[in-house]
Amino acid sequence: MAQPALTFPRPVFAKLSPHPFLLRCLNPSDETETPSRTNGRTPREARPLQIHTSSLSHAHGSAVVRTGDTTVICGIRAEVLPVAQIPQYRPRAAFEEETEASRKAEIKNYDLVVPNIELATGCAPQFLPGVPPTALAQTLSSRVYSLLVGSGMVQVEDLRIWKGGEKEEGGMDVDVDEEEEKELVGYWVLYVDLLFVSFDGNPFDAAWTAVVATLKDTKVPVARWDDDRETVVCSGEAKQLGVKGLPVACSAAVFLEKEYGEPGEGRHWILLDPDRLEETLCREVVTMVVDCSSGETRIRAMEKQGGTVISRELMRGFVGVAEQRWKEVSKAMQ
Amino acid sequence: MTTKREPEAALSVLPKSDGSARYSYAGYTVTASVNGPIEAQRRDEHAYEAHVDVIVRPAAGVGGTRERHLETILQASLIQLILVKNFPRSLIQIVLQVEASPENDYVNTKLMQASLNSAVIPALLQTAVLALLSAAIPMRATATSAIVAVMTQDGASRLVAHPSPREIEAAQSVHVLAFTSQDGLLLAESEGDFTVKEWDDVYDTAKKICCKSGATKGEGIEMVLDEQEDSGPDMRQFLRSALETKVAADLHWK
Repeated sequence: MAQPALTFPRPVFAKLSPHPFLLRCLNPSDETETPSRTNGRTPREARPLQIHTSSLSHAHGSAVVRTGDTTVICGIRAEVLPVAQIPQYRPRAAFEEETEASRKAEIKNYDLVVPNIELATGCAPQFLPGVPPTALAQTLSSRVYSLLVGSGMVQVEDLRIWKGGEKEEGGMDVDVDEEEEKELVGYWVLYVDLLFVSFDGNPFDAAWTAVVATLKDTKVPVARWDDDRETVVCSGEAKQLGVKGLPVACSAAVFLEKEYGEPGEGRHWILLDPDRLEETLCREVVTMVVDCSSGETRIRAMEKQGGTVISRELMRGFVGVAEQRWKEVSKAMQ
Repeated sequence: MTTKREPEAALSVLPKSDGSARYSYAGYTVTASVNGPIEAQRRDEHAYEAHVDVIVRPAAGVGGTRERHLETILQASLIQLILVKNFPRSLIQIVLQVEASPENDYVNTKLMQASLNSAVIPALLQTAVLALLSAAIPMRATATSAIVAVMTQDGASRLVAHPSPREIEAAQSVHVLAFTSQDGLLLAESEGDFTVKEWDDVYDTAKKICCKSGATKGEGIEMVLDEQEDSGPDMRQFLRSALETKVAADLHWK
């Protein structure tokens, strides 16, 4: 007797049992079908990236980044922070040598870059609007902050405001008298606000791309100290913020064949740029931030958590995938 | 001000919780309590597995975005270790209180820092594993963790295991790695600027610290002592001996 076949249309199958649905898509029983993900992409295929800059009129820099159904708006607003208002401000002594580490510490200690990520906009069903920041939003903003400060993209030289005008590049040549005149009176603080308009997985890549695109678009007003009014005044003109390098984030999730099996048994697939459905089904995630702008591939950050499938060899292989993504993103940035 | 001494651990230090541990190494002291399996709140309940709740409390002040980030990292790692499917619809709660952290004498330490404090991850993970063992929560593996910094001096780079805050500040890149007792790479968090080659070296160094006892087990203490100077203590051996001491003390009456 033939078994009564129970068939569902695709959306019902996906809703009822998402794990077998994705598994069936990746590993079709029919030889003629090409394996793909539920969204029609191959495992190593990322969603196309669209970037629009300067769309917000009141921000000093802004970008809208869209990958598939994940859309982020990022705006940067610079505000003046006089040194008198910094608690525990310590001017750099003349004998102290300025190093890469001390410049990063300056940004970090005086909080000159303040990112904030808002997910509670009704961008996805799991985020209720109008609630305090979820753990994901807080984790994301911590990750963006760490990378922003750690990668040294924003240089503290661009954020300093001097008494007596802009300090000359390469302060070595300036003679001593002039050096004394130039006193640091304040900093520009960059408030980086990210708003998720719609959320369909892979928030970090989208958020980071938006931050990079916005930094490249940011123009900070030219500010100087006015002796008569004893305050910082801005002239009408604006100066492009210097951005060092182009780090690009590339995330992937590991999908295991056995939903409730022991780790390490069964097959696995590494899904690049996972969407919301795939993220709920995958535990292990890997993010690599690479920068190939100097010709050589430099890794700027690497995160891997939630499983033991990705070993050293897979990690090495993932660098190649990230390099490929870097090329795509840098093309979209232009 | 580097505190290069042996790691210390005490198990079942808190009388009221199901399991607890205090661990101190490289200037960090962390106390953890584990309660579980207990009844989960309705919104956290999962039909097929236990919910693992990790709470990190900083040494001073209330937790902020940085602590949420640490909790997310630890939770993802601990779910892999605990046999969560044995306890559907229940909750395993792990509370980690940082008691002491090494101070950087050169800068004014701020209470609220948004950036990830990766140096505390090994201590947190190690303490959580010890507390879970103390609470007799079924686990598929234990884990050990290490932090390695790549320092560049005069063009030459060298690796520093368990660096001080001052060294972390000056380091080219900082890497936290954790390995399960089956030698699987459980966690990798890297910050800074590095190449694949450098990461490979870091991986070797961290693996040596985390998984050394596999090679030297049963060959006496001498071999361990030889290598101790360059790569720090053997974390897996330490975990084992901490538990052996506890079990021996508990069975003292027999």
